[in-house]
Amino acid sequence: MMDIFLTVFSATFFVTIIRTTTPLLLATLGGLVADLSGALNVALEGMMLIGCLTAVIVSVYAPWYVAVLAGLGVGGLLGAMMAFFAYRLKADIILVGFAVNILAAGGTVFALALATGGDKGTSINLQSQAIPAVDLSFLSAIPGIGPILTAFLSGHSVLSWLAAFLVFAVWYFLFRTPWGLWLRGVGEYPGAPEAAGIPVAKVRTWSLVVSGALAGLGGAQLAMFNYVGFTRDMTAGRGFIALGAVLLGARHPVGALLAALLFGTFEAFAVVLPGLFNWMPAELIRMIPFVVTIAALVLFSIRAQRALAMRGVK
Amino acid sequence: MALLEAIGIGKTYPGGVVANDGVNLVIEPGEVHAVVGENGAGKSTLMKILFGIEQPNAGRLVLDGKDVSFAGPRAAIDAGIGMVFQHFSLVPSFAVYENVVMGSEPRQGIRFDRKRAIAEVQALSDKFRLKVDPLPPVSSLPVGQQQRVEILKALYRNARILILDEPTAVLAPQEVQELFVAIRSLVAQGKTVIFIAHKLPEVLEISDRITVMRQGKTVGQVKSSEVTEKSLAALMVGREVTLRVDRKPTDQSKRVAEVRGLRVVNARGTEVVAGLDLNVHAGEIVGLVGVEGNGQAETLEAIAGLKPIAAGDITLSGEAINGLPVLDRRGRGLASIPEDRISEGLATGATVAENLVSTKLTDRRFVRSGLLDLKAIRDNATKLIAEHSIRVGGPGYTVGTLSGGNMQKVVVARELSEQPKLLLVNQPTRGVDLGATQFIWRTITDARDKGAAVLLSSADLSELLALSDRLLVLYRGRLVAAFLNTPDLTPETLGTYMLGLSTQTAEDMKPALR
Ligand SMILES: Nc1ncnc2c1ncn2[C@@H]1O[C@H](COP(=O)(O)OP(=O)(O)OP(=O)(O)O)[C@@H](O)[C@H]1O
Ligand SMILES: [Mg+2]
Repeated sequence: MMDIFLTVFSATFFVTIIRTTTPLLLATLGGLVADLSGALNVALEGMMLIGCLTAVIVSVYAPWYVAVLAGLGVGGLLGAMMAFFAYRLKADIILVGFAVNILAAGGTVFALALATGGDKGTSINLQSQAIPAVDLSFLSAIPGIGPILTAFLSGHSVLSWLAAFLVFAVWYFLFRTPWGLWLRGVGEYPGAPEAAGIPVAKVRTWSLVVSGALAGLGGAQLAMFNYVGFTRDMTAGRGFIALGAVLLGARHPVGALLAALLFGTFEAFAVVLPGLFNWMPAELIRMIPFVVTIAALVLFSIRAQRALAMRGVK
Repeated sequence: MALLEAIGIGKTYPGGVVANDGVNLVIEPGEVHAVVGENGAGKSTLMKILFGIEQPNAGRLVLDGKDVSFAGPRAAIDAGIGMVFQHFSLVPSFAVYENVVMGSEPRQGIRFDRKRAIAEVQALSDKFRLKVDPLPPVSSLPVGQQQRVEILKALYRNARILILDEPTAVLAPQEVQELFVAIRSLVAQGKTVIFIAHKLPEVLEISDRITVMRQGKTVGQVKSSEVTEKSLAALMVGREVTLRVDRKPTDQSKRVAEVRGLRVVNARGTEVVAGLDLNVHAGEIVGLVGVEGNGQAETLEAIAGLKPIAAGDITLSGEAINGLPVLDRRGRGLASIPEDRISEGLATGATVAENLVSTKLTDRRFVRSGLLDLKAIRDNATKLIAEHSIRVGGPGYTVGTLSGGNMQKVVVARELSEQPKLLLVNQPTRGVDLGATQFIWRTITDARDKGAAVLLSSADLSELLALSDRLLVLYRGRLVAAFLNTPDLTPETLGTYMLGLSTQTAEDMKPALR
């Protein structure tokens, strides 16, 4: 029992949480932007997965930051494609989203096989790169708390810092700029912005592009930091967990951060627990984040229903 | 020179409905110009064309002597035209000022300059005497104020011409007067107003000139000072209309519905119905009188089973129906014409035929062994469309494409296609034209004459006085007065009780409480 506490309250565990949270947080922010504009993006999963593979392959030939940008770009492109099908060709957005997911599941394996010369499981024989960790060990020089600061703050991915900044940036965009006002208005009651001359479909298109870009960025983090290299289906439902996290976070960027942290923490458990409880089947432990997602969503929904019932709304 | 002219406008909707067919409209600067006509005459369509939402198939628009065409609302807004829709377009959770400035926000760099937005909205509201607090979310405001927000929205974009599509339909009488004050102040400051309404006294009071439309055509343009209510009605409908119904003497001895100690608490936790007792008997119409928001709507919703109640008992034909779901209540003979036809009365995406049977899905005539009998459903619709003269292309058209008044007829047709025991009616003729009003009044009184107990609420006092046998006045969710509807009962008398200026004693109320 003791070692569990030691593990959980250690700085390494904190660093693990941040690592597992980052891809989720990026995808959740993506889901949030799309959801608030009224364009539910169920394709986060597929966009992340394609983002993973793109980043890995590009990183073989180019510096890591180009690879990250490629992951971001391909996500954005997928978002634009979704918007084209949904708003230009008037296809149902949920169906288009699932099409992207299915395309991603099969397409990444196919592309992987092409890139590796036949390997359909992993990119192990590709020389892909990692995103550098930010080294803040100079903080140790601060007397007293220095070493602790270093232990907690050093060693995170560049994208983790970026994700933290993006929580603020998304919040600022949504609640402090005119375009954020448009986006939220379009999501809540499109008739109103339309009558005010705001191009509804354009606003939604841009939110899907941004949403896809964020998911792609999450994919890059996953395949270039959490793991280095691509494995088939490596997103393992993170895109869907992100959709849940949007709701759990009450459709607010800060809520999204908290929800992503919650799921990230349980994923981190799933990472460290097998070492501690080797009698437990690893599969069971890996289920934990998903069980927590379902439980959290059910609880959240019950609470929301109660709140509504209390206010006499049915 | 005319400010705005529409010449020979034609508009056929996809699906073949001819909504406008050679319409001419001439708007002079600085006037209040009313457009009147029956439901489905094409008024809203014409306005949507002026505002760039619909594109005409024929004809042209001339603004300031120059030909113009609007590809979308943005173009019309830029040309100085503003419009307030029949059904508002506001984002419910946004603050008043956010709704007003949305689309043309004051900026500071990339930031939305809230301070300036609030100040500008406040200044505008002062300038045009449209009093409204810029800060609260619009969903918390009564409709009258939401409408002011809509008007401010247009003015904020520097509209010179303001189109108001049936602005008074959703307003209580005193709110109508406030709106008229605002319109006069707008005109005094150089704006031009186009105004659509069905109530002719209102039209004659506020407008300078009137254009009359009938079945997609303009049939005349008159000066308000040169017509009477009667001659205008004749011009609109093509025949004489009198808004009067006769109620037959009925046997009113049987008590159908009883409400005891009803309490309803709203979303914000305030008590909106505070211990109400009332009875409704077979063969009588009981009118619930009150300024909107004093508990009439909630009372009706509670009886219909649409709102949970905090306390009280409701019985129908002697049986308690308190906890029963809506469908069971309907099964026991309850019918209800709700206040908001779009969100509560109809499924706008479904067809007219489907809507007309939507409350009867356990009826063997329409559903047999779990399958819909499409032919019976269509025949039922064809029959009701003819009986209620609903203006629609056919049973298969979606309800959302109907004009406002015709949507209401669909609700009335459905609820009264079978004789109910208890009929709940809220705002039956809001936005409904003269001819249809007369028809709906007739239908409701027919149901009464055949023995239905009717509970009616309306913002229109003349409607309550025309239809009711007894009148109960509510103020802040309590019964403050009760009257038998005698010819000497006036709106003024009701008004003093509605505004809470006086209250009857239990003794005074007694004769009218049965
Ligand atoms: N989007 C649409 N598609 C098809 N038909 C339509 C559409 N909008 C309106 N119509 C039809 O065009 C006709 C004119 O409708 P419009 O809304 O202009 O009438 P209106 O004069 O405003 O009536 P009301 O007084 O009831 O509001 C109606 O028959 C209506 O059913
Ligand atoms: Mg209309």
